[in-house]
Amino acid sequence: MSRETTPAGASFATEALTYVVAVALAAAVSALFIVAMRGDVVLALRSILSSSLGSVAGFAQTLNKISPLLLGSMAVMLARQGGFFNIGVDGQMYAGAIVTTGIAFAVGNALPLVVMLPLALVAGFAGGAAFGAVPGALRARWGVNEIFVTVMLNFVAYYFTEWVATGPWNDPITGEAITRVLPASATLPMLLPAAGAHAGILIAVVVSAAVAVLLGRTLLGYEIRTAGDNPRAATLGGVRLGPVTLVTLALSGALAGLAGAIEVVGYHNRLILGLTPGYGAMAILIAVLGRMRPLGVGVASVLVAILMVGADSLQRSVKLPASAGAVFQAIVVLCVLLVETRSARRARA
Amino acid sequence: MAERVHMSGIGKRFGETVALAGVDFTAARGEIHGLLGENGAGKTTLMNVLSGLYRADEGRIAIDGATAAIAKPSDALRYGIGMVHQHVELIPNFSTLENVLLGREGGGLWLRPERHRKDVEAVAARFGLAIDLDVEVRQLAVGVQQKVEILKALYRGVDILILDEPTTMLTPQEVDTLFGTLRAMADQGLTVVFITHKIREILANCDRVTVMRGGRRVTTLERARMDEGHLVELMIGERLQTASVSETRETSVGPVAAAQTVLEVIDLAVEGERGRPILTACSFRVDAGEVVGVAGVAGNGQRELADTLAGAIRAAAGHILLEGRDVTSASVRARIAAGLLVIAEDRITDGLLPGLSVAENLVLGLHPFAFSRRFTFDRGRARELARAAIAEYAIRARSEDAPAVELSGGNIQKVLVARAIAQARAVGGRLLVATNPTRGLDVRATEFVRHRCLAFAATGGGVLLISEDLDELRQLCHRIVVMFRGTIVADLPRERFDPYAIGRLMAGATAKPAPS
Repeated sequence: MSRETTPAGASFATEALTYVVAVALAAAVSALFIVAMRGDVVLALRSILSSSLGSVAGFAQTLNKISPLLLGSMAVMLARQGGFFNIGVDGQMYAGAIVTTGIAFAVGNALPLVVMLPLALVAGFAGGAAFGAVPGALRARWGVNEIFVTVMLNFVAYYFTEWVATGPWNDPITGEAITRVLPASATLPMLLPAAGAHAGILIAVVVSAAVAVLLGRTLLGYEIRTAGDNPRAATLGGVRLGPVTLVTLALSGALAGLAGAIEVVGYHNRLILGLTPGYGAMAILIAVLGRMRPLGVGVASVLVAILMVGADSLQRSVKLPASAGAVFQAIVVLCVLLVETRSARRARA
Repeated sequence: MAERVHMSGIGKRFGETVALAGVDFTAARGEIHGLLGENGAGKTTLMNVLSGLYRADEGRIAIDGATAAIAKPSDALRYGIGMVHQHVELIPNFSTLENVLLGREGGGLWLRPERHRKDVEAVAARFGLAIDLDVEVRQLAVGVQQKVEILKALYRGVDILILDEPTTMLTPQEVDTLFGTLRAMADQGLTVVFITHKIREILANCDRVTVMRGGRRVTTLERARMDEGHLVELMIGERLQTASVSETRETSVGPVAAAQTVLEVIDLAVEGERGRPILTACSFRVDAGEVVGVAGVAGNGQRELADTLAGAIRAAAGHILLEGRDVTSASVRARIAAGLLVIAEDRITDGLLPGLSVAENLVLGLHPFAFSRRFTFDRGRARELARAAIAEYAIRARSEDAPAVELSGGNIQKVLVARAIAQARAVGGRLLVATNPTRGLDVRATEFVRHRCLAFAATGGGVLLISEDLDELRQLCHRIVVMFRGTIVADLPRERFDPYAIGRLMAGATAKPAPS
């Protein structure tokens, strides 16, 4: 017999409270960690904020950091909304970066910036889409789990990058896995030229807003969400899971590929091995922190960017190891997951 | 009668919801005591308290006059209380004997089921439970599996046996056998508490009945004072509904206008994994204005039939003709566009989008047709449709934007019905395929859904009603086809709606020609 009762609904207020509790818990645990390392908690916090937001250079660095984090976590979120785990953001970033670099080397010298730059960005988008379409097609056609495929393709993209960066496109002067500098026409303009902030943040924000619109206001987005929520119900409602799967994972890859392209044309001006210092894993954490919603993911991206940039300064100010930033991020994510699970269980009981 | 169970002032809350409020309940030695009420009345909750699954917030339980402290099922078992739940909870690939002994193997490292065989056989013999102890449980019919559950309880020394809606999955013959067994138990001095919402089962089998409504006890009646109309009134709290039941019966047998075939299924076959046949040579038709029932024991291919008609799984052979048009390989969306609508079997796994809003749930399937612009999901329009449906179907939701996971079972079912009917309105519905559309609904909601199905047929559509509830089929349908092992074994007109004959067909007997 099913009880005809309404379970305690996750209203906005309870949800917000859950989040506040989680963040408070994370702050407390992080503070304990700092104290245990014989650091000064207040100094640490001040140091993080002043280094990431307090100076123009730091602020610029934070802005640059937001671009790949935002686009990467949007990629994870989009896939998740469709019911998939995209663990391949790193690989897709490399794929996008490779195609962007290739196009820039091929035709960059012959084209003006107004043509070349959009072309380079579209190339990155397309490269990522193609790379995301592989797990998408395998999943849609044969039900192959996209987690394994995306993880494996990360290696493919990484080693392919190593080959082009040490081989055909290598810059012999550096002696490392770095390509030659891109033509000037394939360079993203600066937002804060003196401080070194490129315009990638603008692209990332606009594209992320487009993703939010796609999910919330288009039939395709609606079908993606139905497929992610209950594929069987979606099927019976006339949603064709195969094409939706393919499109979702391709679009997810495309967002990551665009992030890779921005890193190339905006930040490094070349393709380097180590283009992504684990942005893919970070993107998953951010998507979880942002509760798989566009706005939440946006906010979480900014916070994590601040933490990443600020954590570097902890080494100098509080004498904490540089890896402390990663520890804090992990603490936040674990606290959010913990509190979320607890509140979900309470709602069910 | 010696009073065995005395529960007084039992209260239980779940969060904000009051599930039980000051409920008194008594059961005597040697009686079959019916516990009657609608879904959500608190019957199962009350018995879960008695059997130690839930702990009451307030109240007192006495067994044989002495206060009993029951905090967990093992406590209840010490007092001889055991419960057989609605769905069988056995281990399919263990034998009957192993299942009966499970949890009672005794100490020691090794399983030695043979040691206890004699004891189990003795218990089975005492209550006339003839079951093969060595066969794997999964090979047994549902009715027999239930006997295994009862045997398991009896072997553990249970003499206060609670059964929760035990007849849901059974054929009429199996129901008779079950009540024979229960009567034998009562005659030997056991106490049987029998939870149901079916009044006829109470009238036919119970010595006393306790009626519950909205978490309270309404009354307890002796057998002599039981009367169908009165019990309905007590159960749902108003008179009006009995009239509507009979009225439904009237409309359902109304004349079928000059028949135009809406659905024709010809030699349909569906294969499962590794080519295992699931449907073989299924043939039947549904005419305009007709409600055709599909009767059968669950798992005989009804689900796959519904899925194949919907277009969710592919037919291996055969044809599905919708108004003469072959839609065998059409997509789900094309079928919806052609007027083939589905109310799926399991509202949670097949129908609900738990994380999406009520509005987004209501427009599923309708979404390619509901909006004026081709690629846009018009949220305003979806909300508008949802508000209309919420009003029309009296769906209890915080708002059309609330996540659907908040809805109760009955309201989810209403959403699914509203969804199908909205599709029908948008595309011009021709055929409605509904599987167990009223399962778990209260009387009012059940009537509501039935009326919708009948109205669909009355306006010239065809309805294929796949249901495990034979009473429902007999009440609503113009014809009943019977499914057994993936094929249609009989096609019966109204004058042959004999539940026992249908029960035999459901169990695999071959159809005899009508005695004309």
